[in-house]
Amino acid sequence: MITTHRLPQTVFGEFAAGGGDQDAIRYLCEAQQSKHMMLLHAIAEEADGAAIPAYGKAAFWAGYALLTQVQATDPGTGAWLLSLPNLGGWAHDCLVRPEQGLAPDLAHITCFAAAAAVHAGIPFEIDVPVLNERVQLPGLGSLRIAGQSPWITLRSDGEWLTGREDLKVACRDLVPDDGSTGSAPQWYGTPAVRAVADGLTWDVRLETGDLYLDRYTLPMSTNLPAGEIDHWRRRIQSAWEVLVRHHRSAAEPLAASVSVVVPLTAQRDTDLVSATSPAAFGAIATSWPPDSVTMAETLVHEFQHVKLCGLMDMVPLVKTGGDLIYAPWRQDPRPAGGLLQGVYAHLEIARFWHAQRQAEIDPDDILRAQVLFARWRSTIDPSAHALLEAGCLTRHGVRFAEVLQDQGRHLKTVHVPDDAERIAEEVALDHRLTWQLRHVAFAPAEVARLATAYQQGQFFTAEMRPRARIKEDTRKVGSTVRTQLLNMRYLAPVRYRELCAAGVLPLSEADVLLINGKTSAAVQAYRDQIVGSADPLPDAWIGLALALHQLSQSPVRQAFATHLAVMFDMHAYSGGRRDPLDLAGWLT
Amino acid sequence: MTSQEQEISSAVPDLRNLPLDRLKPLGGSVLAHSIALFRQRLKESGLPLSSFQSRI
Repeated sequence: MITTHRLPQTVFGEFAAGGGDQDAIRYLCEAQQSKHMMLLHAIAEEADGAAIPAYGKAAFWAGYALLTQVQATDPGTGAWLLSLPNLGGWAHDCLVRPEQGLAPDLAHITCFAAAAAVHAGIPFEIDVPVLNERVQLPGLGSLRIAGQSPWITLRSDGEWLTGREDLKVACRDLVPDDGSTGSAPQWYGTPAVRAVADGLTWDVRLETGDLYLDRYTLPMSTNLPAGEIDHWRRRIQSAWEVLVRHHRSAAEPLAASVSVVVPLTAQRDTDLVSATSPAAFGAIATSWPPDSVTMAETLVHEFQHVKLCGLMDMVPLVKTGGDLIYAPWRQDPRPAGGLLQGVYAHLEIARFWHAQRQAEIDPDDILRAQVLFARWRSTIDPSAHALLEAGCLTRHGVRFAEVLQDQGRHLKTVHVPDDAERIAEEVALDHRLTWQLRHVAFAPAEVARLATAYQQGQFFTAEMRPRARIKEDTRKVGSTVRTQLLNMRYLAPVRYRELCAAGVLPLSEADVLLINGKTSAAVQAYRDQIVGSADPLPDAWIGLALALHQLSQSPVRQAFATHLAVMFDMHAYSGGRRDPLDLAGWLT
Repeated sequence: MTSQEQEISSAVPDLRNLPLDRLKPLGGSVLAHSIALFRQRLKESGLPLSSFQSRI
C-alpha cells in the first residue's frame, strides 16, 4: 500500500517560524524525489497517446527502461537523478505543454537516463536527441556533437562513452567542471563551484546550458567565457563566507538542498533580478549581484521561496481566489499565495539585516543594515494579518500565518536607533501611499456623494466613507526622484550626500524643502501646489502626506496616512483648487 | 496529542522505495488523486517567483 510523506508538526512549526534546519529540509528533499517519481508516472501514462509521434514514444520508453535499470542497480544514482532541479523543470513542462497546445519533449528522458547510467558507471546503449550540436547530460554537462543529425546512439561499457567514429570520452571525465583541470575535448562539464568557509562546504552547479532551467523572467546566461565563470565562482565563495560567518542557520540547510545557481542576464547592469521556480526545487536564479553581501541576501531570499515551494508541494497552505492585497515590497497588488511567499521571504531578509547590523563595520553599511532591518521587520505582522483577514488560507495555512505574525511581533520588540527607524518609516509610508493612490478605487457615485456632503458642510460620519476595492492601476502615479532620494539616503549614502551638496537635484521646491527637513515650509509648499492647480497632482499629495508625517502634532497627519486615495478623488471631483488640509480636517 | 496528530499527512505519495516499473501495475487510481491535485497546483504555480531591484 502506498502511504504519503508525513511531516512532523514540530518541523512544520520550524518552517512556519522562517527556519528549518538540515534535518527539517530533508523532509522536503525526500518529498521532492517522490514528486518527481509521481510526475514521471504521470508522463508515462500519457506517453502512448495518439498525439505523441512514434519516435517520441519509442525514445521515451527506451529512456524509461534505462532509468529503471539504473534505479535497480544503483539506488544512490536513482536518488541523485530524482533530486535534480533539471528533472523537475522538464517534467513540469511535459505535463503543462499539452494544455498549451504544444508537444511534450518526451525524448529528453533519454538524456536523463544516459546521465544516470554514466553517473552509475553501468554499460548502456541508447539513442539521444542532439540539439544545437549538443547532447545534454543533465546534472553533468553536455557533449559536443558536430553535424546535422538530430539523433546519436550513445554506447558505454562503463569506462568509455562512444557514439559515431569521432566520439570517445572516458566516463570518468563526464563530470561537472570545477575549473581545476581542462575538460576532455568533446565534453563541456557544467561549471561546478565548491564554496568552503569555516568547515562548511556548499557544492553547487552553475547551470548555463539546460533549457529546462531557462524558465525565469530573464534569460539564462549561456556561453559564459571562462573568465566570467571564475567571477561567479569567486562571488559565490565570498557570499558563502558571509552566510557561514553571520547567518549559519540559513547556510547549513541551504547547502543541503540548493544544488543549482542559474545566472541570469539582466536588461541593465543596474538591475538585480532573482527568481525561484516551483517546478525546479533546489535551483536559485539570479542576475549578477554587485557585491558579496547582496548575493548572500539574494541566496537567503530565494532559499525562503525554495523552502516554501517545497513545503506547499506537501501541505497546501493557500486556497484559490480571493482579493488582491497590498505587499510592502511590490508595486503591484498580490494574490494571497504571492503575498505569503513575500512575507516568508521578508521574515528572513529582516533577520539577515538584523545580523548584518553586527557584522558591518563602515558607518554607511551599518545604517543600511539598520534601515533594512527596521523596514522589513515592520512588514511581517501586518502582512500576515492581511493574509488571515483575506480568508484564503487552508487550516494549515492559518497556523502558518499565525506563526509568521508572531515572529513579526517579536522582531518589532528589537531596538533600532531612532534615525534608522525614522528613515524606514518614511520610505514605508511613501511606498504605501504611492500604492494606495495607484490601486485603491472607489465607486464614482460614492465619491460624489461624499464630496457633495463636504461642500455642503455636513457633518462627517464613518458610515459615509466609500467602500474601497483594489483595482490595479486605477490612477496613473509615476515613480519620482523624491522616492529615489528617500531610499538613496541609506542605500547609497555617499551618492546622496554628493547630490545634495551639488544642489542639482531635479526636484520641486516642495520636495527640496521636504528632503532638507524644512517640514512646515514643505507642508505649505505642497498645499500651495495642490490649491494652485486644477490638475490632479498625486506626487504633491504624497509629498504633503510625507511632510505631515514628520509633524507628529498635526491633527490631520493620520487622515493623510489612511485616507489619501479618497481625499484625492474627492478633491478631483470638486475640480481641484481646494485646501487639502481643510478636506483632511473634515474627515478627521 | 496522538501520534497521527503529531504529524501532517502530506499530499505527496511516498514513492521513494518503489522502482519506476512498479508504478504502472499499481493502477491509475492509486496515484490518480495525487496526480490530479498536482496538475491543479501546476496550473496555479507554474510561474516563477521573482524579485526585482533597480540599483540606485
